[in-house]
Amino acid sequence: MIEIDNLHKKFGDTEVLKGVSLSIAPGEVVSILGASGSGKSTLMRCMNGLAGLNGGSLLIDGLDVSKPRELREIRKRCATVFQHFNLYPHLSVLDNITLAPMDVLGRKKAEVEAEAYALLKQVGLADRADAYPGQLSGGQKQRIGICRALAMQPRYLLLDEVTSALDPEMTGEVLDVLAALARSGTTMIFVTHEIAFAREISSRIVFLDDGVVRADMPTDRFFAEDGGYGDERIARFLAKMRNK
Amino acid sequence: MRNQGFNWHDPILWAQGLGVSVGVFAASMILGTVIGIFIALCRVYKVPVVAPVLLVISEFLKNSPVLVQLFLVFFGVPVLLQVNITPAEAAIFTLTGNTAAFIAVIAISAIDAIDRGQLEAARSFGHSERSILRKIIAPQALVVAMPALIGLAVNQLQVTSLISAIGVIDLTKVGQILNQRTWQPFIVWTIIGVTYFILSRLLAAAGGRLETRLRRHMDWAGL
Repeated sequence: MIEIDNLHKKFGDTEVLKGVSLSIAPGEVVSILGASGSGKSTLMRCMNGLAGLNGGSLLIDGLDVSKPRELREIRKRCATVFQHFNLYPHLSVLDNITLAPMDVLGRKKAEVEAEAYALLKQVGLADRADAYPGQLSGGQKQRIGICRALAMQPRYLLLDEVTSALDPEMTGEVLDVLAALARSGTTMIFVTHEIAFAREISSRIVFLDDGVVRADMPTDRFFAEDGGYGDERIARFLAKMRNK
Repeated sequence: MRNQGFNWHDPILWAQGLGVSVGVFAASMILGTVIGIFIALCRVYKVPVVAPVLLVISEFLKNSPVLVQLFLVFFGVPVLLQVNITPAEAAIFTLTGNTAAFIAVIAISAIDAIDRGQLEAARSFGHSERSILRKIIAPQALVVAMPALIGLAVNQLQVTSLISAIGVIDLTKVGQILNQRTWQPFIVWTIIGVTYFILSRLLAAAGGRLETRLRRHMDWAGL
């Protein structure tokens, strides 16, 4: 369970999150939508402790992100996939995937490697285990990024604009992997610009606008004429995204 | 001892001088690297008090002549602290400090060159700062730093010739001794110069091979 209550976050004098409250139950697939600068990536960075809070609280399974000891435990349960992949260039694909399970969870190499091969097979990259990130295309890198996150067997998977840095032809291969994951019951929180995809896979949409939650409703309702669409700001955002 | 020819003892003298030069170089390079990395880490992790103090010291070491530093340590420090210090001790002490100052600069810029996104990823996965340093920062920083480290090593080898000025019998001092005795400056200084040259080339070649090995997996890393 992720419980966010009246969360505030400032960068200097600019308040990016102005009292966000939100709760996400295990098994949910939630997409967080919003224009650039609405605070969605910041919200995600607060969840994995990469950005500190300036007010309010953020609890994951009852653990408080603002307490270092509890944050360490949270990080074992939440794995993030990043917009710019952030793979380790000096490590092979296999080592990128196995590093955290071995180093952070203290698991055995043989066991973790077997799982890593299974994950690579799942994303269609079984033959690239010994390659280095620099030898891969963007879409392949991001699929490795997803494997690296899944190798932690996280309860919560955080996906921060994972297709934004990809060419359109590579977006599909990544989205296919994510769609399969969503069906498997992993709790997923997407920050995304892929409206059609969000509509297809998520059970719930959270719309952030200028640092506050403007809408938080089941996906069907959000895209209904009398639901989220009824809100003039949201309608404008969706129209703009469709024209892109 | 004036105006005599070369004799059978001279190659031994040359070898002794060579040994002293290489020894002082190796000792100051190894100690300087350890201390330099320590300084760099204090700066990178912004350790209070220690970091700014080390900054001032390393700025002084980088921006004053090594010869002056040698005189300060060999002549000045014994007077100030009322201790005896041998020329070799003063030489190793001074060159270690000087090397450390430059190693720190190289290490800091190599660490800075690593993409921050990777470090965020590693933190988000729960790696400790220590293991991020060991497993992610250090291997990449070493590759980035290699060319600068080889350049520094070759330069510091030449700098060791200055220790002859405080009476250490190194290769340069051996050159002075032989020159005074034989009055054959062209032959003596050619031999000494070629010796330094060969040492430098060996050092650069060894460094180059190490760099190639380290880079083997990194050609695609864009470092």
